[in-house]
Amino acid sequence: MSARQPIDQFAASLPGDRRSSVLGSCQAATSKRLTALADDFAHADDLRRLAARIKQHTLDHLDTYLEAATARLEEQGVKVHFASEAEEARSLIHQILAERGAKRIVKAKSMVTEEIHLNDYLIDRGLECLETDLGEFIIQIDGDIPSHIIRPITHKNRREIAQSFEREGLGAYNDDPEVITRRARVHLRDRYMKSQAGITGANFVCADSGRIVLVTNEGNSRFSMAPNPLHIAVVGIEKIIPRDRDLGVFLNLLARSATGQRLTVYTEFLRGPKAPGQPSGPEEMHVVFLDNGRSRILGSDCREILRCIRCGACQNVCPVYRQASGHAYRSTYGGPIGAVLTPLLAGDDFAAFADLPKASSLCGACREVCPVDIPIPDMLLKLRHQAHDAGIRSPGAPPMAPFAELATRPVIWRGAMTLSRAANLVPTQLLPVPALQSWLKLRTLPHWRGGEFRQWMATRKKP
Amino acid sequence: MSLAAAPTKPVSHRVLLMATCLCDAFFPEAAQATVQVLESAGCEVLFPQDQTCCGQPAFNSGDFSASRRVARHTETVFAGELPVIVPSGSCAAMHMHGNAIQFEREPDAARFDDLGRRTWELCDFLVHGLGLTSWPGSFPHRIALHHSCHTRGSGTRSAMQTLLESIDGLTLVPFAQEDQCCGFGGTFSVSFPHVSGSMGTLKLDHALKETPEFMTSADLSCLMHLSGLADRQNRPFKILHVAQILLASLPR
Amino acid sequence: MDGHPEEAMNRNDLFQKLRASAPASPEPYPDYDDAMLLSRTGHPTDLEASFRQQFTSINGYAFDSPGPLISLLRATANTRGYCDPALFPILGQPLADAGLEVSTLYHRSRYDDYQFGITRASGAIAETGTLILTDEQTSDRLAALSPWVHVAVLDPATIAPSIPEAIKRFGSSVNIIWVTGPSRTADVEGILIEGVHGPGVQVAYLSPVLSWTAPASPSF
Repeated sequence: MSARQPIDQFAASLPGDRRSSVLGSCQAATSKRLTALADDFAHADDLRRLAARIKQHTLDHLDTYLEAATARLEEQGVKVHFASEAEEARSLIHQILAERGAKRIVKAKSMVTEEIHLNDYLIDRGLECLETDLGEFIIQIDGDIPSHIIRPITHKNRREIAQSFEREGLGAYNDDPEVITRRARVHLRDRYMKSQAGITGANFVCADSGRIVLVTNEGNSRFSMAPNPLHIAVVGIEKIIPRDRDLGVFLNLLARSATGQRLTVYTEFLRGPKAPGQPSGPEEMHVVFLDNGRSRILGSDCREILRCIRCGACQNVCPVYRQASGHAYRSTYGGPIGAVLTPLLAGDDFAAFADLPKASSLCGACREVCPVDIPIPDMLLKLRHQAHDAGIRSPGAPPMAPFAELATRPVIWRGAMTLSRAANLVPTQLLPVPALQSWLKLRTLPHWRGGEFRQWMATRKKP
Repeated sequence: MSLAAAPTKPVSHRVLLMATCLCDAFFPEAAQATVQVLESAGCEVLFPQDQTCCGQPAFNSGDFSASRRVARHTETVFAGELPVIVPSGSCAAMHMHGNAIQFEREPDAARFDDLGRRTWELCDFLVHGLGLTSWPGSFPHRIALHHSCHTRGSGTRSAMQTLLESIDGLTLVPFAQEDQCCGFGGTFSVSFPHVSGSMGTLKLDHALKETPEFMTSADLSCLMHLSGLADRQNRPFKILHVAQILLASLPR
Repeated sequence: MDGHPEEAMNRNDLFQKLRASAPASPEPYPDYDDAMLLSRTGHPTDLEASFRQQFTSINGYAFDSPGPLISLLRATANTRGYCDPALFPILGQPLADAGLEVSTLYHRSRYDDYQFGITRASGAIAETGTLILTDEQTSDRLAALSPWVHVAVLDPATIAPSIPEAIKRFGSSVNIIWVTGPSRTADVEGILIEGVHGPGVQVAYLSPVLSWTAPASPSF
């Protein structure tokens, strides 16, 4: 076969040590998640289903909840903006920064700012925009892209990182993770203290209180805000939840699903600029609500994908992600969530990503671990259907019309079954069926025994 | 959202057998064993001659118009009130779940809801339908049980465990990463040869490390993929459909 | 709103799209009991003991007298630091008396000089060993963040049993942060390293609030 599926090709070309580190880290994260949930909750699946319902309820009433959240935030002195697509969000953020003369920006890890490629945009316009999450910092100095939602550098080993640090003048080669971490600490805290604005994402926004919730383990989001006067939070519109109370559901699930912790180290709840009298913290806070295709997805039959809380559990458990790594998915979101979200977010560019939903054995492991019970396999199927209907060619996939023809004509089917035994007489490598040859390259096929069972059934003596 | 409890499945000692296309083409013994196992549990087994396939290959490839044609044929063949018993978690899942997706906006969706409701995977039927809590006889062998992916969240997993564990002399051999897919995935195995092959090889590595005498599963598709892979890699091992173990265990 | 007309348009457009995509049968808000959200450790009978146990299990140090804290600070060579002036009488003074260098002013230009920072916690969560800090009671966010050792002075009476209960106690604070253990990362090969950007050592100093008004405030 000449045409190959891009993800299969990528996986085949992945260096062995990279594959091992992705596979190993995913296995470890999957087992930590399982232990964290099973140890603490007798009915963890009920919790997942509850989370699913709350999120689905919110999405089904998103106009109401987004309006409520906006009103609360504005009452609390937050300036709220809406951006319908990436370019708008980028220029809006640039404008806010420019109007305040902020040139040195620190950023906490945020998938949505990755999605809109904010860093490059601001850097191109002469701003300094520094990622502060250790993994994201390494991604940035390497000019790389994250390969996992939670562990952005899961594809890198310590030796590569030590080389990058040496190259960037952060000290002589040393690949001890503790030394690497300390060096980043020293380097970054100086930059925090000199920064003029902090940009973060948000994990949740509570509509009843206008509370923005941010979780990190390193403390970098806190540090990206504490020393400087301006905070901009970029938030996908699907991050809303109805009430503060619902945080009890989501916080219990998020960290356990992501890293196997009960809570992430820092869980921050912001309702606006710092309190009067508090010496540290932003005096001005902006929230940029981003659509960027989400309202369109909401109108599609894959709306449940917007329940996602970005925990990465589906990536960890996915056997295809484990073999291929996140970069195989050619977008911000890899693995099962990416295989659904990326083609949907692509809109008119759907065809460019129509191969992603094919990259699954439909094993359903993703749905089993999803904290908001997203039926990812169903969506992969719907997107495959959409691609097929749009006439998008899929490399390596046999055509199905002849199969349907055969499988709806029982007499011919039975004949074909019996005849198939003739294939045993032909060396299989000579059969001109590409799918069969692809199969045979790696596996043998059992002997054809078509019709034997039917014959037995018809002729046996019943007990 | 499908958050409602599953509708009650019909139970009867008269059942329709859906033998699956894989048994039809490659694995007659598994289908025969299914018949004999059902009969030993007191069932009368009817085999509609016009059956072909559940349509899953086309469904998984996204060609819903092709797969709906096949599903409509199958629904006609298995019309009526009787339970439909399938020696495959995957084909059963096609009836119980897959059809709901592809017929969501079709006028005849209700017929497929009914077919899904009547369809049972073999072990699920024996335990949760007929109420068996153990299986007679003995099978003194070390067995690696591969839980096929399409049995996730279904009654099949606990049913298989219940039946196999109750058989005299049978030892279930646990192995690492049991919850991972074998890499088959239908057309996935031919359009993603590298990833599929690597997944299968990992599964073999984990299972064969524990030196089982046989590997079993509710799905022959997984077993066919794994044994074919093992064969190419010169580390052959024996596969048995779960029905074959149940049959072999029966006192003669 | 900043008053940019195109933003107003975006807002209206977006809400229109959202209304248009509302499903025919929307999911109702599920009725649920907070009891469902309680983990294995979510029903503590002795709040203080449970908090200590959970806090220690995530590598926090729980103390209730200055002695062990002084030893820890000495042993880890963190001998210079900051103390919230309101807490000086109960903790800053004993540390200063023991020869540690204690300042009640946090100068951000000298952020690196503070090896420890003593601030007040507003509460805690027994279920998870979490400290709760708020803008109203934290004398300086940075003082609780930049030093290697953060000492949170916690009144045991403010410990909430569980996450749902802590949420009920949110109140109106504009900034609340839950701190569950020392700052950490596992970004490099999954190896856990504590002390990334925030404190590498997290201390809870349990002391009933009534005892906080002992000697007079120090003069600096």
